[in-house]
Amino acid sequence: MLDRTLPSQPALLARIPGVVVMLAVLNIGFAWASPGFLSLANLSNVLAQSSVLLILALPMTLVIMTEGLDLSIGAVLSLASVSLALVAVATGSLVLALIVGVAVGAACGAVNGWLVAWLRIPPFVATLGMFGVAQGLALAVSDGQSITGIPASVQAMYSGAMLGIPVPILLMLAAALAMHVLLYTTPFGTYVFALGGNREALAFAGISQRRILLCVYTLAGAMGGLAGLLLTARLNSGHPSAGIGMEFDAIAAVAVGGTSFERGNGWLPGTVLGVITIGVLRNGLNLIAIPSSLQVCCIGVLVILAFVFEAFSGVRRGEPR
Amino acid sequence: MIIEQTNATTVLQSCGVPLLELRGISKSFPGVKALQDVSFSVWPGEVHMLLGENGAGKSTLMKVLCGAHQADEGAFLHRGEPVRIMSPTDARKLGIAVIFQEFSLVPYLDIADNIFLGRAPRGRIPGTLDRRLMLDEARRVLDLLGMDIDPRTKVHQLGIAQQQMVEIAKALSQNAGILVMDEPTAALSERESEQLFRVMARLKTQGVAIVYISHRMAEVFALGDRITVLRDGQRIRSLLPHEASPDALVQMMVGRSVDMTYPRHFGAPGETLLEISGLSAASGIRDIALTVRAGEIVGLCGLVGSGRTEVARAIFGADPITSGEVRVFGRIHHGGPEAAARLGVALIPESRKTEGLALNRSVADNIVSAGLPKLFSFGVFHPSRAREIARDIIARLSIATAGTQVAVGTLSGGNQQKVVIGKWLAAKARLFILDEPTRGIDIGAKAQIFALVDALVQAGAGVLMISSEQSEIVHVCDRAYVMRDKRIVGELQRGELSEQNIVLLGMHDA
Repeated sequence: MLDRTLPSQPALLARIPGVVVMLAVLNIGFAWASPGFLSLANLSNVLAQSSVLLILALPMTLVIMTEGLDLSIGAVLSLASVSLALVAVATGSLVLALIVGVAVGAACGAVNGWLVAWLRIPPFVATLGMFGVAQGLALAVSDGQSITGIPASVQAMYSGAMLGIPVPILLMLAAALAMHVLLYTTPFGTYVFALGGNREALAFAGISQRRILLCVYTLAGAMGGLAGLLLTARLNSGHPSAGIGMEFDAIAAVAVGGTSFERGNGWLPGTVLGVITIGVLRNGLNLIAIPSSLQVCCIGVLVILAFVFEAFSGVRRGEPR
Repeated sequence: MIIEQTNATTVLQSCGVPLLELRGISKSFPGVKALQDVSFSVWPGEVHMLLGENGAGKSTLMKVLCGAHQADEGAFLHRGEPVRIMSPTDARKLGIAVIFQEFSLVPYLDIADNIFLGRAPRGRIPGTLDRRLMLDEARRVLDLLGMDIDPRTKVHQLGIAQQQMVEIAKALSQNAGILVMDEPTAALSERESEQLFRVMARLKTQGVAIVYISHRMAEVFALGDRITVLRDGQRIRSLLPHEASPDALVQMMVGRSVDMTYPRHFGAPGETLLEISGLSAASGIRDIALTVRAGEIVGLCGLVGSGRTEVARAIFGADPITSGEVRVFGRIHHGGPEAAARLGVALIPESRKTEGLALNRSVADNIVSAGLPKLFSFGVFHPSRAREIARDIIARLSIATAGTQVAVGTLSGGNQQKVVIGKWLAAKARLFILDEPTRGIDIGAKAQIFALVDALVQAGAGVLMISSEQSEIVHVCDRAYVMRDKRIVGELQRGELSEQNIVLLGMHDA
């Protein structure tokens, strides 16, 4: 099968993605600096804490591949969180909470998609507007207060375990698998590549760009709702500022994972690694007692390093800059 | 017209009805009548050549055919039955496949995904792709085209010629009854072009109808069964190849007689402006030695991929040099592009839209862009001074533009090329390196570009011209170097310059 000639193969070292190198360096560094870092309990903790971010970053990868951006995702998460918390407290039902959370998120995402695809508003502007709308609604719905008294069934979404594996880790594995199948084995996935890579090709193929864009943004919103459920379960309350700054982490994870912001050059496994890298960084910095304000700084540095590294290895691979 | 009818009758007798017939197609865009009452037909097993200058309506006609644009007026008949083409899906259902010149490929999908974009076979699991079937079919079509490449290769890893072949494979895999090709050989090497022609011959015997757009006269006569000439959105004539000479066709295209031999005033060359010896560069070129003197146009020819563009880039300092030296105006030049530009070297790149111009900026902004430090003192930009310089260049090069403040992207290809040359003229360049200066430019504008280049060298400039159009090299150049496999394999003086000699030197088994 592989006997056919491939274009010049770059050196092995140049083919190692930057995110793998960064993850390895961070792991070695933290293992050296903090003895507790490599314990199974801590690593499992890192993964569980990464679950919310991963569920946001996966669809963010698709959004970015279409040369878009979703700045509203953190606020949408907050709105979903308070909405589903109110429903959960009132009814005690996990299923209803899930439905409400995902529906609220999907509705916000669909509005984003409609603004971007039909009204042709730049994604940056459209989702910045939605950021304000969703954040304001989250505060209004909750009256600015945390919503406590979350039923145990909802809490179990974060604290529970199946077959000894924490539920949030199972959920993030399922989400990553589903998204991988969607992007790499379905026609929809090829259209997402085409939206960023060559929209004219899509038009000539007779595929509606608008519907694909609508789907991508709606998916991002719906996953934001799901992440809202997970975060509500973790915090044991619905909070109108639960998702503040999450869009930064999500976009950073995608960037660290090697998805470039042009020509539909997306890499989903890279996003998974990017999320874990950010999780490891936050966890490790916690262990060596760096305050969370400085952690945001470090993530910013990581994003820039990722781009520098990619550009550098691109040169080594002989790709045009 | 009588001859045309007899032609139609003979084909009619053998085949019945045309596979596709367009009757009275019109299409307007705001301010432009792109197509006016164009009628056109293709028969099974026929290669129908579509000729016309840029802006004649070829691309619009093609887009109407493939459903990307909808005709305002007119009718389509498919095997004699009236049909509607309102969308690309309609066109596809009628068996129309189009090979685009501007690639309709997605860079980060692999070849197989690209070939099947929008019509991929579904796998057993609902909603998924049948990758095995896609890979098998992709291999089959690539084999047909003689392309030895894994269909799982991502398209962004391919060179231009290979991408063009994938574009062709994409159309072939649709098993279309009607193939529309827009200058398919523009980016191909001779070997690849010949493979394409073999495939076309096979398709003809299978009754496929081919609409072929080309600027190359040789192809028009070698491949065409019938020729239709468009001008200003109207059909000028349809005829058989033996009914017209190349000159007559050109005359139909431009509506006036154009001298196919470009105006050139040959004179004695002056001092040496560029001297390269023993040059090798990281891009693969080896042992390059050449000179360009004032008052000379020196050709650099060879097949696509023989290293011509790499030589230009090395001279300009865009690629790192590993050995040898470049002397510009007598001084060793080893700086980058900025240093070269300061010295007065102008590189006029192959892809002017991406490398030579800022399309959405004004003509004036583009014209002054290369010479900013020379034209404005203390780094302060004066819009009125820029307009003045632009007006001077517009007048000297007779650039057809509504004014200095018009966006360059709205000008025709020929006038855009003049702006690129004009910006280096404004920057007072004396050595011009032209990479495919006439690509995508119609014949009328070509003559103007060459008149301009001739004026440049008469005024004491030197020109190194890379071109795949051997006839241009033969007509325009004082001397020419021929490249093969990243080396210069020969130099032809004015008296020895002929297309035959260039081809002989450039061929691998020569």
